[in-house]
Amino acid sequence: MTLALVLHDWRILERIVGLTNRLGCSYRSVEVRPRDDSRYDARIEFAGSPDALRRLDAQLNRLLDDDKEMSR
Amino acid sequence: MSESGGSTGAKLILDVLADEGVGTVFGYPGGAIMPLYDALYGHSIRHILTRHEQAASFAAGGFARATGKVGVCFATSGPGATNLVTGLLDAQMDSIPVVAITGQVRTPLMGTDAFQEADVTSITAAATKRSVCVRDVRDLERTLRAAFRLARGPRPGAVLVDVPQDVLKAPCDRFNRLAPRRRTQPTTKADDAALDATIEALRRARRPVAIVGGGARSAGATHLFREFCALLELPHTATINGLGCADPGDPRFLGMVGMHGWKAANLAVNEADLILAFGMRFDDRVTGRPDRFARGASIVHADVDASEFGKVIAPHVALRGDLRYTLAQLAQRLARMESRPSFDGWAREARAFGGPPPPDRTPLGELSATSVLDRFFAHAPSDAIVSTDVGQHQMWAAQRQRASHPRNFLTSAGLGAMGFGLPAAVGAQFAFPARSVTAIVGDGGFQMSIAELATIARYELPVKILLIDNRRLGMVRQWQELFYERRYSAVDLSDNPDFVAIARGYGIAGESVAGGASLDDAIVRMLASDGPALLHCACYPGENVWPLIPAGTSVAEMMEARPQDEAVPA
Repeated sequence: MTLALVLHDWRILERIVGLTNRLGCSYRSVEVRPRDDSRYDARIEFAGSPDALRRLDAQLNRLLDDDKEMSR
Repeated sequence: MSESGGSTGAKLILDVLADEGVGTVFGYPGGAIMPLYDALYGHSIRHILTRHEQAASFAAGGFARATGKVGVCFATSGPGATNLVTGLLDAQMDSIPVVAITGQVRTPLMGTDAFQEADVTSITAAATKRSVCVRDVRDLERTLRAAFRLARGPRPGAVLVDVPQDVLKAPCDRFNRLAPRRRTQPTTKADDAALDATIEALRRARRPVAIVGGGARSAGATHLFREFCALLELPHTATINGLGCADPGDPRFLGMVGMHGWKAANLAVNEADLILAFGMRFDDRVTGRPDRFARGASIVHADVDASEFGKVIAPHVALRGDLRYTLAQLAQRLARMESRPSFDGWAREARAFGGPPPPDRTPLGELSATSVLDRFFAHAPSDAIVSTDVGQHQMWAAQRQRASHPRNFLTSAGLGAMGFGLPAAVGAQFAFPARSVTAIVGDGGFQMSIAELATIARYELPVKILLIDNRRLGMVRQWQELFYERRYSAVDLSDNPDFVAIARGYGIAGESVAGGASLDDAIVRMLASDGPALLHCACYPGENVWPLIPAGTSVAEMMEARPQDEAVPA
C-alpha cells in the first residue's frame, strides 16, 4: 500500500512509525519533502497483511485529520 | 478583549484558558512551569493542588466526564509530565476531552538531558490525539486554541501542549481574542443510502438489538437513542461506557453487555439477527472472540469516527456521522413508515434470558461486597455521581448502578486504570459542589491514590468514599482461582493499614463495617454527612464477579455462577 500524505507537522511521522509497528506492518520506502507552503509531502510504501493495512489506513486518516485541525 | 498588560506566554495561557471557558485546573507545580504558577497567583482561574500529577490528570478527566467540558491539568517538566501519562491515555481511550499543559526545560537546554528534561511530546504521542511543543510564543495562542478544538471533538480526546520555560516567560503581544471559537470540524452527516439501508435492515429483522456506547454521551444523543428504542420497542444494551445513555427503568433495557455483563444482554446479542451499534467500538471486553460475536447478525455501526468501522467487527452498514443526526434521521424515516416494525415481543423474550447478575456465595457472617453495593445504590440519591476504581468492585458497581444520566457513572473503562476512582470523584465534585459524589474504590486502587485524601480535606470536598476492602487484588485473585489453578500470586493485601485511622489522620470522618447488621445505617450515615466521609467495608475475600465470559471466548463459554457443590475459597 502506497500512500501520498500531506503533513502539516512533520513530527507526526513519529506517530505514523509507531502506528505502523503497532499494527504489525512495515515500510518498503519512506520519502518526505518540504513543500513551499510549510507543509510536507510524504510518500510511504507500507507492507503488511491486507487487513492490517486497511486498519492502518483508517488510523492514518484519523491522524491526518487531527494534524490538519491542529495546524488550522 | 482580555487585559493582560506586560503579558507573557504564561499569562497568555491563562487568558486563553479563561476565554475557552476554563474555571478550574488541576495540577502540581515544579521548576520549569513556575512562570505559569506565578501567573496563576491572583488569577481568576482556580488551581486545585493535587498530591500527585497522575491524580491531576484523573481529576481533569473526572471533571470532563461529569460535565462534558474540557478538563485541564498542569504539570512541570520531566517527572511531572510523565506522571500525567496514565490519566491522558485514560481520557484518550474513553474519548474524554482533556488538555494538559506541561512545563518544559528552556529551549537551549532541550536535547541536553537537562535536569527534569523529558521528551514528553514523544512520550505522550501515543497517549493523546496530539502532543505538541510550542517553541515560539507567537505560536502559543493558535496552538492552545487548536488543542481545545481537537480535545472537544467531534470525537473528544486528550491533547498535550508542552511549553518551555523561556516561552512561558517570553513577552508577547496583548492578547486579542480570536474570532468566535470554531468547531473542530463540520458536523458529519451519515449518508442517505446508509440510513435507508438501516431502515431496510430493520424492516427485515426479527431479533434486532441496539448497543449504545460512550459515543452517544459525547454526541449529546442520549435522548435520541432512547426515543429510537422506544419507537421500535427495541431491546437494547449498553457498554460500560454507555451506561446511563439507556434508561435503566426501560423494560427493554437488558443491562450492561460484555465480559461481566448481564446474561440477558449477552444472550440477546448472541441471538440477534441485527445489531445496531451506536457510538461503541466493539472493545474486546464486549465482543470476546470477534469471529464468534453475534454470528447470525447483520451489523449496522454508527460512529463519528470512520476508523472504528471494521477495526474489530466489519459492519454491513456504516453510518459515519454525528449520532444526533443519524438517530434523528432514522427516527424520521421510521415515523414515515406506514407499518413500523415493533419488537416488543422479542424484547420480552430477550429480557427473560436472565435477571440481574447473581451475587456469589459467601460464608455466613462475612460481608458480601455485592450486598454492600446493592444497599449503597438503594440509598444513593437518584442524581448521585459515582466514580469507581478498577477491578471487581468496578464490575459489581457497573452491574448494579442505576444511572439515568450518561455523566453520572464515571469509570476508567477502556484503559482500566487503577487509582482513577478517588481523583475522578475530586474532579466531579469540583464540577458539581452541591451534588452527591461517591468514589467506590477497592483496597488496591485506593492505595494508589490515597494521598488525594489530602486534596479532599484541604478543599473540604464532601466526597464520600465507599471502600470495598477484601484484602486482595480481587480481580486478579478471581482469575488466578478460575484460570491459574488457584495459584495465588502477588494478590494478598491482608496487611492493609487501618484505613479509618488514615482517613481520620487527614481529618476525614471514617467508619468501618464488617457484618451485615449495621450496613444500611452506616451507608445512610455516610451519605447524609455534610463533609467527606469514608465507609470502610471489610468484605469477604473470596467473592467473585458473575457472570463471566472468559477473555477471548464467546457467550457460549459464559460462567454464570460458582457451582453449588463447590466450596467457596477461604
